[in-house]
Amino acid sequence: MNKEQNKRSPQKPTFRKVLQKSALSFLAISPLLLGIIGLVGLFQVLVTPKMLATLFRGNGVIDTLIGTLAGATAAGNPVVSYLLGGELLNQGISLYAVSAFVISWVTLGLSHLPAEVEVFGGRFTLYRNILAFVFTMLIATLTTLTVQVLT
Amino acid sequence: MKEQDKPFVFRGKYLLLIVLIFYGLLFIGNSQAAQLALQKSGKTLVNIVPILLMVILLTSLLNFFLQPQQVARHLGEESGGKGWFWALAAGVISHGPMYIWYPLLEDLRSHGMKDAFIVVFFASRTIKIPLLPMMIDYFGLAFTIVLSFYLLVGALIQGLILEILQPQNGN
Repeated sequence: MNKEQNKRSPQKPTFRKVLQKSALSFLAISPLLLGIIGLVGLFQVLVTPKMLATLFRGNGVIDTLIGTLAGATAAGNPVVSYLLGGELLNQGISLYAVSAFVISWVTLGLSHLPAEVEVFGGRFTLYRNILAFVFTMLIATLTTLTVQVLT
Repeated sequence: MKEQDKPFVFRGKYLLLIVLIFYGLLFIGNSQAAQLALQKSGKTLVNIVPILLMVILLTSLLNFFLQPQQVARHLGEESGGKGWFWALAAGVISHGPMYIWYPLLEDLRSHGMKDAFIVVFFASRTIKIPLLPMMIDYFGLAFTIVLSFYLLVGALIQGLILEILQPQNGN
């Protein structure tokens, strides 16, 4: 019995201990998080919505690419991407480009890249971002085409 | 939970240093912009603290209740369709910025979670349930439904492609 208890006890730490360990692992990553938050602030100020809106050229294919890149460069709450996307639509920018912009705002993040590489490794980050980039354009195109057929 | 006893090391020190240097240079060149950036960063930090605390609690609960073998069973190679479903659902319901979830995912990955599921999780995060009414208001119901559908399907396909690109879990 005693032997069994001794066997189990080191395998099942108390919740307090587990909580402490999780808090420590987040503390360890705090410089990384602060670095990204700092970068997000810089991107929000240096890459303004007005600046992003001027990038679009009125060509469906090129604008979809620009929308994807602009969304990846921008930082902040996704609500901002909806507001800006709505404005871009009003300005006559295609739904292809706006959809790409809204999707890449969340799935791609230039300011997150250093942290993603640090946590998940370079190869995984490269694969994930290439996939997200290609699928952003693909989904934006398919969504627009489908919506056009439906309405 | 397997005790790993990794030594405590601060990560991302150099990134933080580079960002601080950027701020320093911006303060010299355009102090108003630097102050504004600092303000925005401070606001982001305040906004993510509650989510961060929630993620720490969630990480602890997962570590407390799930043994690494169980993580591997539910989210690892042998998880089957269940693992894909959980990755997709977790991505859709997760809040806050992407980077907040890095430590939890890293932890699950070290316990056997497949890389494909991390891809699915990140890809499905584009669907934000609390923001759906706003998306409908701006872009219409048809757009929101169609986009959400393609995002879910696209997330799964991205995970499957990653499995082809990276057949072994490349930790």
